[in-house]
Amino acid sequence: MNSTTWKETLTGQIDGDMSEEIDIFETQIHLRKQGKIEEKLFAETRLRRGAYGQRYDNGQRYDGSKNQQLRFPDVPTKGPDTAWDAPGMMRIKIPFGGLSTEQMVVLADLAEEYSDEILHITTRQDIQLHYVHIDDTPDLMRRLGAVGITTREACGNSVRNITACPLSGVCHTELFDVTPYAQATMRFLLGHEDCQDFGRKFKIAFSGCRHEACGLANMHDMGAVAAVREIDGKQVRGFELYVGGGLGAVPHQAQLFSEFLPEEELLPTSQAIARVFARLGEKRNRNRARIKFLIAKLGIEEFCRLVEEERKILPEDPRWTEYLQDLHAYDETALKDAQPLNGAAQDSDFTEWKRTNVYAQRQAGYSVATIALPLGDLTSRQTRKLVSICERYVKDTVRTTVEQNIVLRWVSDADLPALFADLKSAGLAHSGAGTMVDITSCPGTDTCKLGIASSRGLAAELRKRIATKGVELDEAIEGLRIKISGCFNSCGQHHAADIGFYGNSRKINGITVPHFQVVLGGQWRENAGSFGLAMGAVPSKNIPDVVERLSQRFIEERQKDESFQDYIQRMGKRDIKAMLDDLTVVPAFEENSWYYQDWGDTRTFTMDDLGVGECAGEVVSATVMEIAAAEREVFEAQVHLEDSDIDSAVSVAYRAIVRSARALVREQFYDVADNADVVVGEFRTRFFEKELFSPQFANYFFTAHQEGTLGLDASSAHRRIEEAQLFVEGAYICYDKIAAELA
Amino acid sequence: MENLQRINVKLYLQDPSSLSGEAAFRIFNAWIAESSEEVLVDVADYSHVGHGPITLLIGHEANYSLDSDEGELGLLYARKQPQEGDLSNRLVGAINAALSACRRLETAPELEHGVSFLGNHLKITANDRLHAPNTEESAFALRAALNPILDKLFAGGQYAVDRDETDGERLNLRVRSESDFTTEMLLTNLAD
Repeated sequence: MNSTTWKETLTGQIDGDMSEEIDIFETQIHLRKQGKIEEKLFAETRLRRGAYGQRYDNGQRYDGSKNQQLRFPDVPTKGPDTAWDAPGMMRIKIPFGGLSTEQMVVLADLAEEYSDEILHITTRQDIQLHYVHIDDTPDLMRRLGAVGITTREACGNSVRNITACPLSGVCHTELFDVTPYAQATMRFLLGHEDCQDFGRKFKIAFSGCRHEACGLANMHDMGAVAAVREIDGKQVRGFELYVGGGLGAVPHQAQLFSEFLPEEELLPTSQAIARVFARLGEKRNRNRARIKFLIAKLGIEEFCRLVEEERKILPEDPRWTEYLQDLHAYDETALKDAQPLNGAAQDSDFTEWKRTNVYAQRQAGYSVATIALPLGDLTSRQTRKLVSICERYVKDTVRTTVEQNIVLRWVSDADLPALFADLKSAGLAHSGAGTMVDITSCPGTDTCKLGIASSRGLAAELRKRIATKGVELDEAIEGLRIKISGCFNSCGQHHAADIGFYGNSRKINGITVPHFQVVLGGQWRENAGSFGLAMGAVPSKNIPDVVERLSQRFIEERQKDESFQDYIQRMGKRDIKAMLDDLTVVPAFEENSWYYQDWGDTRTFTMDDLGVGECAGEVVSATVMEIAAAEREVFEAQVHLEDSDIDSAVSVAYRAIVRSARALVREQFYDVADNADVVVGEFRTRFFEKELFSPQFANYFFTAHQEGTLGLDASSAHRRIEEAQLFVEGAYICYDKIAAELA
Repeated sequence: MENLQRINVKLYLQDPSSLSGEAAFRIFNAWIAESSEEVLVDVADYSHVGHGPITLLIGHEANYSLDSDEGELGLLYARKQPQEGDLSNRLVGAINAALSACRRLETAPELEHGVSFLGNHLKITANDRLHAPNTEESAFALRAALNPILDKLFAGGQYAVDRDETDGERLNLRVRSESDFTTEMLLTNLAD
């Protein structure tokens, strides 16, 4: 028999906490539709569940000649600066990029049923589905939850997806496999109380070695690079820990926090860093709220001192080290025996693909095959075909990469020709992985509300042009990385590219022309070891010529073994600018209107339909989030009462009171235990006795605590729920008073 | 099955080369501005991927795409928001919307050489694995709702209905009529 809902169908298949969280989110959607949750609070709530707004949810779209008001339905908005409940993006966290075939099948299903049949791999190993309706998100989350995937904290002011080198465990240069550490950190910090009050997002990356690009540790809020030390004659694992890196409009190289952080200190130190960031990080000015600004303000020494002090007072948590007993649980195995590739002649397509897309693993006889995805996209059907391919050649050893590709690990070398043939039949055998043709791009104006120019349009055009040269690409330039962002916010990681671009615009005779700023000489290797320099804005339509000219000049003028970075430095900004000068010229509209359109778009360019981004999330304090959660519980209690489930109604109403009281107590006593007896005592001393809270409402709490939650009749239950609602109101008022005093 | 709302309908181009992704982009973009009966939001270019959408017109109620899935180029209508009425009404609504979109493309003045769609071949997909799993039982129920509509659509003529049972595929029925029809004729038949 068909079940009527996914909630029923998947009962028992989703982790209990996750299941409850999704139910809560579904309730919040209903409450928002009834206007019972304020839009700012709902926006941050939805962002923390991975549901992100897309372009045009402000109800405006430029049609090529004028800004057009979309005929959107009259429904409650889903956040500030939105006009309607427009389809949005769902970001799905894939920790360290690790995917199983079971998960891939579900992702393909979801893309078909709720999105546009496209799975998009992001520059942080997430998967994004676009054009998803908010009403569909709870079921989408449930179906993901049933295969162990969460969208929690994929957006918003939270710890985002934790990334790691896709070659972890099979790489020649790594000191050890960082996978279990990335996984443990993700599990530990997901939903952690100390990570709920950030002013901005917090990104973490792991890398197995210092010199490759791997985890890009230098451009993360926290980057952990594997390190090994000999202590008392034993090899001890740890991490070289970096903090305060980040791209964005103002890129910062991460600073060294510790040359060697022993493995058992990884989680407590992460927690201490989170606490210091939550406590001292900027909350009002979102443009300066990333941890990099806090570290710049305090200085790295003072920051380290504060973290060390915080570390000392952290309550002991067994999770800090439990996972270390089981590191080998993450070890992967192969489906097939290691067999060498036989020497039979292969066609040139295979040879070229093998040259660029295949990495010989540390384990002899096995390889990593990279599936190079144009613009990071693959369709549901391709995903399903890929699942069949995986089942033929590997186990669940699939990972997404920060270069928006997918890798299959543990392919027996003998299988490479057959694998290539199968990938080819699925349209997934593009060669050129990790070369100039393998361009990274953020979504840009396609879907992002902040996008200025079409990064994906440009990437597609460059890919087309460079791919036609294929094997003819000079080896000096073949390995150059091109990365494109649609605006200065750097989601395309343009700062860390040899040749980077970010979208902007210029007015020519009063008409706006799409441009890209040219950023040259960034370094991908060495964990994004250095950032590029801006060389000037060039009209979007001339960017392919910029790439062509830079490549050609580098080939011709390069000194022996000179790197592109060194070449750019040697040439200097003035000479490079002069080299590109003629390409900055834009003909008049009447002369050539082509310049006034963006790549991949047929409309005349505009910036008028630009929206307000949600990258920064909404700054809603953890206390307000908790009181709002308590309010939602009061609503749930009412539902229980309507269903004549009196015991549940009373118990949930009481839980709401304790929750909001504890939220207030945490303002003064951060580490207060999650125990009603403790909360009632602390609340009495800190708020009731100091007359900070309505005595009438406070007494509701004391009475309920004393009388317990069992054996009440419907009428008493109704009264308890009313009291809980009033207590929650009292908590809001009390918090507003405290916040005003602090301000 | 009775709860099925997400219904996809695909019709196929007579000449796959007659409609490029770029032309579809221009036309879909114009539809957003001209639309008065439904909320159309944006156009996406997916010409870089194979085996799926090439150009996608995103709407609130439904999406439209120039689609190349299974190597067959056509127009895919994908209903998202609930429609009024029973399953039969909803199927008629989706088929009518798909045919109307095809007809609109066939009459688009922007397409210098014109396009036309095959009137004897369509694919209906139940885009909902919960309410319409790809099983014999669901297929039977879908056929039962669909057959009277197809009788009308093909004016009582003969047609065959096949289901792709491949594991992982959504419930789908591919319909081929023995006689040729134009989309205009099909729309008229459906309205009668």
